[in-house]
Amino acid sequence: MRIEYNFAFFDEGSKREIRRATLKAVAIPGYQVPFASREMPIARGWGTGGLQLTLSLVGKKDILKVIDQGSDESVNAVNIKKLITKTTGIKVTDEASEATIIQSRHRIPEIPLQSGQILVLQVPLPEPLRYYEPSELETKKLHAEQEYSGAWLMLFEQIMNYGTMSTGADHPAMVHDRYVMAPSPIPRFDNPKLNHSKALILLGAGREKKVYAVPPYTRVESLAFEDFSFEVESFKNKYCGICGAKGVFLDEMLDDLTGETFYQCNDTSYCLQRLNQESAGRGIYNDRV
Amino acid sequence: MKLDLVHDLQEAYRKTLDSMSRPGLISNIQDQASKVALEISNFNPPAPLVMVLMLFDTEVKFKVCSKREAEIAELINQLTYAKATEIENADFILVLNDADPEEFEQVINSACPGDLHDPHKAATIIIEADSVSNDRDLTLIGPGIEIESFISVRTSHNWVDLRADKNSEYPLGIDLIFTDRNANILCLPRTTQIWQEVAG
Ligand SMILES: [Zn+2]
Repeated sequence: MRIEYNFAFFDEGSKREIRRATLKAVAIPGYQVPFASREMPIARGWGTGGLQLTLSLVGKKDILKVIDQGSDESVNAVNIKKLITKTTGIKVTDEASEATIIQSRHRIPEIPLQSGQILVLQVPLPEPLRYYEPSELETKKLHAEQEYSGAWLMLFEQIMNYGTMSTGADHPAMVHDRYVMAPSPIPRFDNPKLNHSKALILLGAGREKKVYAVPPYTRVESLAFEDFSFEVESFKNKYCGICGAKGVFLDEMLDDLTGETFYQCNDTSYCLQRLNQESAGRGIYNDRV
Repeated sequence: MKLDLVHDLQEAYRKTLDSMSRPGLISNIQDQASKVALEISNFNPPAPLVMVLMLFDTEVKFKVCSKREAEIAELINQLTYAKATEIENADFILVLNDADPEEFEQVINSACPGDLHDPHKAATIIIEADSVSNDRDLTLIGPGIEIESFISVRTSHNWVDLRADKNSEYPLGIDLIFTDRNANILCLPRTTQIWQEVAG
């Protein structure tokens, strides 16, 4: 028996709903547009919003890349690729530069995004003010009034407690000087990539049924204070133990045998691509340590 | 060939999204428009109808401004089940070439700009123009534009100042989609600021 699927899984009505919301999201950068979310055949809590956005976008000519915390091969990334290729027949790739749509969870690829690409970020918690305001009605009001002193206070308390703005991932950012936005749990290292991006960036939250957008060439400024400036995670004097890359987001690893720590690229396809290019002798990377 | 409601509309959507994300970028949907024209001959030029098929359904309220308003509104309702309504309540407003200038002014003035809690409830206005191009008539700046972009919109309507007034209180405002005779589309989200070249 063969089950017939809709192209890109969704019925056309579901796509239209998300498409209308997406066009409004682009017109109001950083503002969370609500939409009617459909049940998805993947595990809840993982963030279906990104998948819904991708399904509303994808066409026969697209080439898709899916990454989960820097990995193209994680179970989640593989499952999403399976669902999309099974219902569309489109090509998938690991190479960021080859993809027309990149769906990602918790990272923006190391290879700079290009004009014409769309980055879809999966968002577990779209509301940056939820941390101190549990009511949706109230947070909508705060956004309406551009009343963000709570967000600043939250950062200030972190500085008082830890001496730094150690927010970890999902550091809030101001978009187009109007809306404070949750960039999704990307490391602070990736926040600057949102600013003045060449690619359109769409963010989707399935459970909270919200979509928001950062159009290309839009100002995205990570929240910071004059005397406590925004800082990305520092990997100073560290490099990838596999490909030698510097200036990328690194994972700290422990060598079981020697007990020594070493580092490797979090973006695994980037790392692999560097190795392949090096072994092919193209020598485009000269920063090997 | 018939319009493919899945693949042709997906392509039209991506082009519209591209143009909405990059104000000044003109996309072309001639391929989809000519397919529509083969099936529905009383809607000419057909580009606005591609937008309608792409975005309208039973969830949508719309208004048509045209000398043939009744006929076209009925056609749209039959095709999409979207409901015709007054300007103030419309999610989408279609301003066709033959709409009279006073009605156009009324559309811009009365269209819903959203409110501070729900700025996304603002109207999208689809305007049929004679032609859109990247001639250096108007200068655009804002999100989606690297430095500046240039457009020229040939239409009988005087829309630039009306739009500027309507969109003076961001995030409230209306979003425009222009279509032309050659099925070009040009989008102006409310964030785009327009500078007019002063003659002489
Ligand atoms: Zn590496």
